[in-house]
Amino acid sequence: MRVLLRSGEGFVPPSSNDFELPPIFGDNAYTTKPILLVFLSVILISVFFIISSRKAAVVPSKLQFAGESIYSFVRNDLAKDVIGHDFLRFVPYLFTLFTFILVNNLFGIIPLLQFPSMSRVSFPYVLAMTIYIVFHYVGIRKQGALKYFKEIMFMPGVPKAAYILITPLEILTFFVVRPLTLALRLFANMFAGHLLLLVFILGGDHLLQGVIGLKLISPFAFGIGIALTFFEFMVQCLQAYIFTLLAALYIAGALADEH
Amino acid sequence: MAKREESAMWSIFGYLLSGLLFWGGIGFGLDKWLNTSYFTLIGLLVGISGAIYLVWLRFGRE
Repeated sequence: MRVLLRSGEGFVPPSSNDFELPPIFGDNAYTTKPILLVFLSVILISVFFIISSRKAAVVPSKLQFAGESIYSFVRNDLAKDVIGHDFLRFVPYLFTLFTFILVNNLFGIIPLLQFPSMSRVSFPYVLAMTIYIVFHYVGIRKQGALKYFKEIMFMPGVPKAAYILITPLEILTFFVVRPLTLALRLFANMFAGHLLLLVFILGGDHLLQGVIGLKLISPFAFGIGIALTFFEFMVQCLQAYIFTLLAALYIAGALADEH
Repeated sequence: MAKREESAMWSIFGYLLSGLLFWGGIGFGLDKWLNTSYFTLIGLLVGISGAIYLVWLRFGRE
């Protein structure tokens, strides 16, 4: 392909370097695009839900309806269904988690912003850490530290010799693999999605600068880019949902007496 | 129910992963230590069997 291109430089494929954005203001590391986007997401979410719930009426306005349907989705479909009778005190946390991740993911396809902040791995790590703290804390509070850890490590009804094989796996799963996969799943999905969009859209742009034959191919690249944008929208919603769902499930698991 | 299946899927994935990581890791360490080459394989096999056993205990017994 490179031979066909007239103008000098070859196509530079998008890579992980495209995620390392320079600071916008001055020389400090605290004003990069992902960080500003996270702040923006907090402002957007707060403003939206304050406005939508301010003039709450029995017959809701469109805005109130939108806000309430998101809230009741998290409350009923995630918290109530999964956690059960003691769900109400976890709703604020799960709701924050869901809206925060959703908006930050959606930044990936919103024109001009177009960067999913969750594709920087530190953000999902921190979110997973909060879940880690919440579900272990809840479990210890509910069952007492000794019983809680015993239940994780020693499953009842298993021959004693099997514990040598199994107990390390339980510990590793509960304390390392679960929070890690939680964070990495979100990160990897956002990272890969953004990369995919970059490939097709930058590729389409690059094809436009080639000879006439390549120019004709370019719309297809853009077309796939647009189709993938819709696909990304789906993935972004799904990832926010799965993250919150698994958080709720871990809390439910820590609350339950029997796993 | 879709949510239970989703959760079961991810816990099974977690168990399989930790099985391979833990016992495979021990095998790998033994190999490095004793200058052999077969403990990694043994560790991985032990790990995956342990994980499958654990999955059976958790989800297959009911």
